[in-house]
Amino acid sequence: MLKKKYASVLVATALVALSLGASLPTTQAAIPAIQVYISGDTNVQDLWEKTLVPAFKLANPGYDVNVTLDLHGTHDAQETAKITAAFATRKDAGADLIDGGFVQQLGSAGLLFKGTTALIPNLSTVSRAVLTIGKGGIPYRASAVLLAYNSTNVKTPPKTLDELLVWVKAHPGKFTYNTPSGGGSGFAFVQTVIDKYLTNAERKTLVLGVNKDLQPKWKTGLETLRGLNAYTYGKNGTYPANNAETLKDIATGLVDMGTVWSDQFASAIKDGTMPANIKVTQIANPAFTGGAAYLGIPRTSKNYKAAQVLANWVLSPAGQNLIVAGTMNGMPVIPVSMLDPKIAQGLSTVDVTNLRAPYFSANGNDLKSAWALAVPGK
Amino acid sequence: MTSTKTDVVAEGLGAAKAPRLSVVGFLMALPPLLLVLFFVGLPVLIAFTFSLGFTTGPNRVLSMIGQEIHKKDQWWGTFSAYKDVIHDPRFAGDMRTTLAITFISTTLVLLMALGIGIYQRMIGGRLASVMTALTLVPLFVPVVIAAWAIHTFYAGDGFMRSFFSQFGIEFPTVTSTVSAIAIGTIWTSLPFAILMVTSGLQSIPDALIETAQDAGAGFIRIIRTVLIPLAITPIVIAGTFTAIGILGSFTIPLFLGPNQPTMLGVEISNFFGAYNRPQQSIVMAFIVFASASGIALIYIWANVRSAKQSGRI
Repeated sequence: MLKKKYASVLVATALVALSLGASLPTTQAAIPAIQVYISGDTNVQDLWEKTLVPAFKLANPGYDVNVTLDLHGTHDAQETAKITAAFATRKDAGADLIDGGFVQQLGSAGLLFKGTTALIPNLSTVSRAVLTIGKGGIPYRASAVLLAYNSTNVKTPPKTLDELLVWVKAHPGKFTYNTPSGGGSGFAFVQTVIDKYLTNAERKTLVLGVNKDLQPKWKTGLETLRGLNAYTYGKNGTYPANNAETLKDIATGLVDMGTVWSDQFASAIKDGTMPANIKVTQIANPAFTGGAAYLGIPRTSKNYKAAQVLANWVLSPAGQNLIVAGTMNGMPVIPVSMLDPKIAQGLSTVDVTNLRAPYFSANGNDLKSAWALAVPGK
Repeated sequence: MTSTKTDVVAEGLGAAKAPRLSVVGFLMALPPLLLVLFFVGLPVLIAFTFSLGFTTGPNRVLSMIGQEIHKKDQWWGTFSAYKDVIHDPRFAGDMRTTLAITFISTTLVLLMALGIGIYQRMIGGRLASVMTALTLVPLFVPVVIAAWAIHTFYAGDGFMRSFFSQFGIEFPTVTSTVSAIAIGTIWTSLPFAILMVTSGLQSIPDALIETAQDAGAGFIRIIRTVLIPLAITPIVIAGTFTAIGILGSFTIPLFLGPNQPTMLGVEISNFFGAYNRPQQSIVMAFIVFASASGIALIYIWANVRSAKQSGRI
């Protein structure tokens, strides 16, 4: 009885093995799913999961994509550590394409396949300046920080940073920006005020690499920011925790003015969470920062060829159209003339190549800490 | 006397008779011990060496990525990261805020728990049971939801301000203040303290209270000389658990507190994430750990005291 059972199991196993062996050479080896790792807000998740990935799979049969989200980039440091460790031990880190703020850091540490036209042909349509800042990352969309204002209460919004600072002091409690460590829109305001007191060359140095020597020059800007404590919302030197809270404060009418991300603002208008009387504008001298978001293909990835196909497709006019027209409301990194004319129409006139870039991440971390030391609650 | 003797004999016999049982018992106790040893003890040890500037081995990757890393300059390490933290102007404010919130909230929580516990013990009845049951509701509300609810209640555009503005009263904005942290921590810590304290008070025999009443003791005197002394162990345990919980709280101060000064839980996360200074964040974690150990000593004292009273040691 038992023997019989064993025999049948053996036969079955042999059959399965035979059929597997027979089928393997005939069918094409399946491409493993591309592991996309996102560090960002839910709008970036929606961009990938609902817009880009379905369209990519339709255009490239045989490819599969798996998206993982790290909300607000809470684990950026751990993910960086994981990829660094995986590179050192020659293991797969489990991510084939990374979309996050730490991509440049990985790039400058030599942990990415360098984004070149040889690997990603469509990069030839992307501006060289944007590529350089990427440190090997692949720019794929852009967004800028803008000044949002309540057009019912503010008829003529400030046009320059100086005008904005005057406006803030003339309207106590009606302006806010979130903590730089909590979100990029607040960080952009802080960096812009700091940059007011720096030369162009100094700004560029801080964008391109680590620099400690220039940091004492932040002092004047930080003092200006501290001087605003009595005039920003709450009038007591407290600031919203993140981008979403700033948007909420503007939408509910708590404040009349604040700094916001262009893409998050456009999405909020579309969703109806932002009233129509809230408008956005860009200031000058200096302008708020913005820039490209970068993709990185880690050198630990075993599936990097498929990741290259995906990155190249995202940079094609088809991919860029989706970034601009979809729920993301992003800015393209390729010339607007290459987009669908209907979609290009709705695009603001902001030129990606002219955006003032944010500081290199290590300098940015130091600025977040310096702000927390000098400004809130003082 | 005789009964104690037979107990001892019986215990002795049990121990001698069942060595296999004790092995099984030991094996059953082993998994949690190993878990704590490998997944808590070992990482704590590694983190401690990192805080002293040991940047090789398991700390290699973190020290490659972090900023402001101090490498050891003596065989035993360096205190540079500790000096960094102590000389950081943020730290003194954060430490003060953390200790003040812990002390004030724990005191208020204990007072409230005693209030409801004594009410239930001395007066009792349906209303007391309903009230006790209601105070346990926060136990079933996740902290993050509670924090957000409190935020929308007291924020600049929150319920309190909207409600009072109907009558022309300007209610203050409580969020982004230290008071909001206190409100939040009390709200979340109260149920556990009430459970501990009420059960402690319930276990006091009626006879003792009645005897005191017969001897002419008033309400306050019964509380002071009978109820609290007899329930002191559960009260101390409730207090230490509450204090340790508040000391390490993160969500409440993150959502409800000011940007600066904040509680150390939030500052540790800022240093580790936003400022990318893992070594300094670990130093702060050890300082919180040391403070919590101080509170834990009180807990151990209370346990030893109750063990002595019941004759276990």
